[in-house]
Amino acid sequence: MNRIMRIEQLKKIYQLSKVKVEALRGISFTIEEGEFVSIMGPSGSGKSTLMHIIGCLDYPTEGKYYLTGQDVAKLNDNQLALFRNKKIGFVFQQFNLLPRATNFNNVELPLIYAGVPSGKRKDIVLKALHSVGLKNREYHRPNEISGGERQRVAIARALVNNPSIILADEPTGNLDSKTGHDIMKIFQKLHQSGNTIILVTHEREIATYGKRIIYIRDGLIEKDEVVA
Amino acid sequence: MILQGLRIALNSLWANKMRSFLSILGIVIGVGAVIAIVSVGTGSTQQVTARIANLGSNMITVYPWMTRGQFGRVGGTVSLHKFTLELVEHVELFCPSVKKAIPVKTLNSRLITDEVNVNATIIGTRIDYAEVNNYEVAQGIFIGESDDLERRQVIVLGSQLAADLFEDDSPIGETVRLNYENRIFQFTVIGVMREKGGSMAGNLDERAYIPVSVAMDRLTTHKYVDSFIGQAYSSEGAVNAVQELEYFLMKYLQDEKKEQFRITSQDELLETVSSVTKTMSLMLGGIAAISLLVGGIGIMNIMLVSVTERTREIGIRKALGAKNRNILWQFLMESLSLSSLGGIAGMGFGWIAAYFLSQYGNWPFVISGISVVLAFGFALFIGIFFGLYPAMKAAKMNPVDALRYE
Repeated sequence: MNRIMRIEQLKKIYQLSKVKVEALRGISFTIEEGEFVSIMGPSGSGKSTLMHIIGCLDYPTEGKYYLTGQDVAKLNDNQLALFRNKKIGFVFQQFNLLPRATNFNNVELPLIYAGVPSGKRKDIVLKALHSVGLKNREYHRPNEISGGERQRVAIARALVNNPSIILADEPTGNLDSKTGHDIMKIFQKLHQSGNTIILVTHEREIATYGKRIIYIRDGLIEKDEVVA
Repeated sequence: MILQGLRIALNSLWANKMRSFLSILGIVIGVGAVIAIVSVGTGSTQQVTARIANLGSNMITVYPWMTRGQFGRVGGTVSLHKFTLELVEHVELFCPSVKKAIPVKTLNSRLITDEVNVNATIIGTRIDYAEVNNYEVAQGIFIGESDDLERRQVIVLGSQLAADLFEDDSPIGETVRLNYENRIFQFTVIGVMREKGGSMAGNLDERAYIPVSVAMDRLTTHKYVDSFIGQAYSSEGAVNAVQELEYFLMKYLQDEKKEQFRITSQDELLETVSSVTKTMSLMLGGIAAISLLVGGIGIMNIMLVSVTERTREIGIRKALGAKNRNILWQFLMESLSLSSLGGIAGMGFGWIAAYFLSQYGNWPFVISGISVVLAFGFALFIGIFFGLYPAMKAAKMNPVDALRYE
C-alpha cells in the first residue's frame, strides 16, 4: 500500500501575549492509502489543531508533515492553497456552505479554483451530488434543505476534486443521531470505494466507523489502535 | 478568472441591492457633476464666444475716457473733443497694422412715419462699418462713400426697425422722418440690415445707420465722434495694431499715462471670457472631483464592512483552494463593479443634467469626450484605489481564523 501521510514529532505552540500554549507536543503517525482513521479526543486535546495542520490550513511550529511525499512545511501560501484544493476534501461540522450560492454552485467551487473549464464542470458536479444520494436538489440553496442534505452537499463538494484525503471534522456534530448515522454510512461507502478518510470526533460511537482510532489527549497520542 | 470574479462580484452586489446603491451614490453624483459642469462650461463659453465673434472680425474699439478723481469728480482732462474725424483719418496713416479706422457717432432719436413713431439708436458711420462688423444688408445697399462725401440724408434700417416702421412693405425708397432734439430731418431708406439679434452691445436690429458726415454736420454741430473702430489686417496682427494705436494716441493726445482713452479688442475680450470660464470650470470641476473622492471613501467603507461580514466565506473559499489572489480579485472586482456601475449611472445623470441646463441657459449642448473619459476613468481608478486595501485585507486572512469567525 502507498503511504499517503507521514507525521513526525509534530508540535504546535501558540504564543498568547505572555503565555505559551503547547497545543501539540510531538505527534507522529503514518496513514496508508485507503485507510479510514478516526482521531478522537476530548475538547482541548489538540485534535482541531492537528486537523488544521493535516488540512494544510496551518503550519506546524516544529516537526515534519509529508503529504503524498511532499514536505508541507516547505510550501508557500499558493502551493498550500493548491494542496487544499487538489489533495484535501473538507467536511465541516457547520457544513460551511456559501449561503447565497446554490448547491450546484457550492459543489462547483473547488473545480473553479482548480481551473476546470466551465464546460466540463457540470457533469462532474452532478455526478458528485448523485453519488451522495442528492437528486433534484441541485439548484436549491442551503437554507432550503435539511441539515442532513446540507452535509451531503458538503461531502459532494469534498469529493468533487478527487482528493487524496477526505478530512471530516465532527461531521455529525450538528445532526440528530439518525441523520448522523446516515452520513456516516456515506463515509463508509466512500471508504469501501477506496477513498482515504480522516475523521475527527469526540464521540466514540462515531469514531468506531473508522478502522483505526488515534486517541489524543493534551497534545500527545494516547493510544493508536486498530478496530476489530 | 476575471470573468468568474466578475460574476461572483455582481451576485454579491445584487444580494445587497440597497447597500450597493447607496454606496455608489457618491460616485454617481461625482461623475455626473464633472460631466455636467464641463458641459455647461464648454457650452456657455461657446455661446459667449459666438456673441463676441458676432461683434465683428479683428475689431479694435477706441473711445475717449476720463479719469475719475477723488469722490467721483472728474479729474484730469476729458479728451472727448480731441476725438475728431481728423484723428480717425490720421490713425490709418500712422498705424500700419490698422487696415481701416471707422468713425462712430451714436445719437438717440425717434424715427417717424405716417403711422408709427419709434425710438432708434442712430449710428453715424462710413461704408466699412458693415464689413468690419460682419454685417450685411438684407435689402438695398449700405451707406456708400459718396453718400458720406455729399452728406446725403440716407438711412439704413435695422431689421426690427424696418418691421416696426413699414411692417411687411418694402421700405426701400421710402421716406422716414428723424426727430433729433426736436428738429425733424427727412431721410430716404436705402437699405435694411440682415437680422442679427442680440450682442454684447444690445439689440443690433433696433439700430439705424446714416453717413457720419450727416450726423456731425447736419444733425449736430459736434466736431468729435463717440468712438472709432480700428480693423486689424488679421487676428494675429491685432496685438500690433493695439500697440500702435496706443502709442499713436499717447503722442496725439499728449497723454503719456494713457488716461484719456481706452482700447478694447476682441482678442482681449475673448481671452478674458475664456480665462474666467476656465477658472470657473476648474473650480467647479475640482469640487466635483472631491465628491468623487468622497464617493470612493464610501465604497471603501462598504467594502471593509463587506470583507468583515464575509470573513467566514473567505475562510471557506480558502479551505476549498482559493489562492490569495483569487480572494483579492473577488473583492477588487466587487469594488470595481461598484465604481463602474456608479460611473455609468453618473454619465447618464450628467448627460441629462447637462441637457436640461443647456436648454435652460440657451447654450449649445456639448458633451466633451475628454470629460466623459476622464470622469469615468477617475471613477474606475477610485474603485481600484479604494478597493485595494479591503481586498488585500481579505486576501491576507488566515484561513483557520477566518473559518472560526462567527
